[in-house]
Amino acid sequence: MLSSYLIFFTFSLYAGTQYEQAIQEPINQLHETLINIMVISDTTSFEERYTYLEPVINKNFDTALISKVILGRYWKSIDEKIKVRFINLFNRLTISTYISRFNSYDNQIFKNISIEQLKENRYLVKTEFLRLKEKPISFNYIIQKNGKKWRIISVIANGINDLSLKRAEYAAIIKKDGFEVLVKKLEQKIYDLQPN
Amino acid sequence: MVSFYYLKVLKQIIFLALFCVLVGCATTQTTDKYTKDDSLEPANRVFFDINETLDQALIKPVAEVYADVTPNFIRTSITNFFENLAYLNVILNDLLQGKINQGLSDTVRFVANSTMGIGGLFDVATPMGLPENDEDFGQTLAVWGVDEGSYLYLPFFGPNTVRDSTDFVPSTLLNPFFYISSTILFPVTAINAVNKRANLLEASNIRDEAAVDPYSFTREAYLQQREYLIHDGNPPITGYDDVFSVDDEQNDGSGVLKIE
Repeated sequence: MLSSYLIFFTFSLYAGTQYEQAIQEPINQLHETLINIMVISDTTSFEERYTYLEPVINKNFDTALISKVILGRYWKSIDEKIKVRFINLFNRLTISTYISRFNSYDNQIFKNISIEQLKENRYLVKTEFLRLKEKPISFNYIIQKNGKKWRIISVIANGINDLSLKRAEYAAIIKKDGFEVLVKKLEQKIYDLQPN
Repeated sequence: MVSFYYLKVLKQIIFLALFCVLVGCATTQTTDKYTKDDSLEPANRVFFDINETLDQALIKPVAEVYADVTPNFIRTSITNFFENLAYLNVILNDLLQGKINQGLSDTVRFVANSTMGIGGLFDVATPMGLPENDEDFGQTLAVWGVDEGSYLYLPFFGPNTVRDSTDFVPSTLLNPFFYISSTILFPVTAINAVNKRANLLEASNIRDEAAVDPYSFTREAYLQQREYLIHDGNPPITGYDDVFSVDDEQNDGSGVLKIE
């Protein structure tokens, strides 16, 4: 009887660990790739690093959901073709921004801190980006299960939620100048992020 | 002894504080959690544009030259010196928030840096296990349950809220520089301002690189950063995915699209 309980307890622990690993996996993949991108930043071109990072972002970010939340109420008023166009544009912006920011290596490391449940199939994963001479940066991620796959739906750096930030910014541009102006501004940002 | 000039300044500060309180009373609070109260947006945008123009034309170029010609260790010492002078306000707000242990630690930190750190030029306290904390009267009011009120973009001071702007009074009165002669005060204040701007060059460049609407970007980043500081870097996790909760209520499944 005791051995049955022990087997059940051990299995539960193992299953719990497996579950947490599955939640953590997209973030680990992203962090590993970002470190590699920093390491090779001096010896590779922007385009090469873009090609290297692109599949990792496509696989681990739920860009469709992120785009929907960012555009808020405006999302419902645009047709499917424009939605897909915006998702692709936002994806390119995400990749270009990561490559632009993570552009030099000085023994930085990512450290996993904790995993906390927000609701069913949605977790908050806390991590830190440790730097040699500067204060650590807190990188928290909201991760959600979409089908069988866990994907990142929000990044929060030192308390600043990138998704909320963009949602406010894009709403202001759409309200003032319209959706096409927003698209042009994002295209310009992507262009500006690339080295001359 | 406080000179006549500083009594005048003090009167201006009290007037500003009263003005802030009145503005706070007069503003309309929004109920939508994701429509931050920016009822003063038209005026805020005017001040934002003025500050940005002044910054781009004068302050940022001066800060860039200063950053280029000043060795890093001197810049670090100047930053340490001014941060140490402002630390009495941190200690006061530790205590007002009931953080007794942190208040004691910050008091020892202030004494250590002011003495062994030669007037605060060197941060000897951090390696001794006395970390720097970030507290102000706006955070104290938040801990006491005071609402942040309208977002304010103030000339020269930048992003603020009605609640946070009240910190101007204790931070000024508790800074020893407030009580010295104006012939020393003005050049020293100028050095502090340029040094602070130089320390923000990287952050402002990142903002310029990322923002499509710099005003909204600055406002959101400021308000979120304040929440983070109020909760000492650990905001309650219940608020983390509220932006999705709003979306969940409207969720019709159309967000799930495949990237071509």
